[in-house]
Amino acid sequence: MRVGTDPISMLWLLPLVATISIVYKSTKVGYIRPLPFAKETAGLFGSIIVFIVVAATILYLLAWAVTGPVPALLDKSTF
Amino acid sequence: MGPSWKDNHALYLIVVGAVAWLVPGGGHFLLTERKRAAIMFAFIVLTFLVGLYVGSIGVIDPVNAKPWYAAQVMNSPLVILLGQVAASGNYPVYGRAGEIGQIYTSVAGLLNLLCVVNAIYVAHQRTVEETKA
Repeated sequence: MRVGTDPISMLWLLPLVATISIVYKSTKVGYIRPLPFAKETAGLFGSIIVFIVVAATILYLLAWAVTGPVPALLDKSTF
Repeated sequence: MGPSWKDNHALYLIVVGAVAWLVPGGGHFLLTERKRAAIMFAFIVLTFLVGLYVGSIGVIDPVNAKPWYAAQVMNSPLVILLGQVAASGNYPVYGRAGEIGQIYTSVAGLLNLLCVVNAIYVAHQRTVEETKA
């Protein structure tokens, strides 16, 4: 199976995060009832995704700064 | 009637841990947590199979990817058999062996490790509560 290296291939993380959320919550909740379990799982799924998006944004901004403005500033420095 | 095999606490925990490792969710099934066991089995096996589908059997590489292999073996001892086949090199590879497939199969293994530890913990807790009662 061909998995590319384009941004769309990042979507492969979604099923993995869903599995992690479901299995982790299945070990943590006291009783498994469909609706509360779905809510717990959705909460964990959302928080993991938010954390990944925040981390990705910070890394993107860091990469952008290191490859763009920072070298430009160094070139024009008054030192 | 002789003492139940559950009375041998250490042996009981070992059996629960071994069954949980042998079949994902098996430990919880033994503890009559059927819903939990079904969820664990379905999602861990599905994740492992998706990893194999994406990267073929080449994702299990006991020679060149030992840390990944260690995580994959946590799925089940049956992965060792797949590792033997993969180590022989006599298999077709239909995808890229690394990356997504390796990540999926390894994460499935680590999730099963979580389930094994949880099953042993629950078994221990129950035995302690039964002893106190």
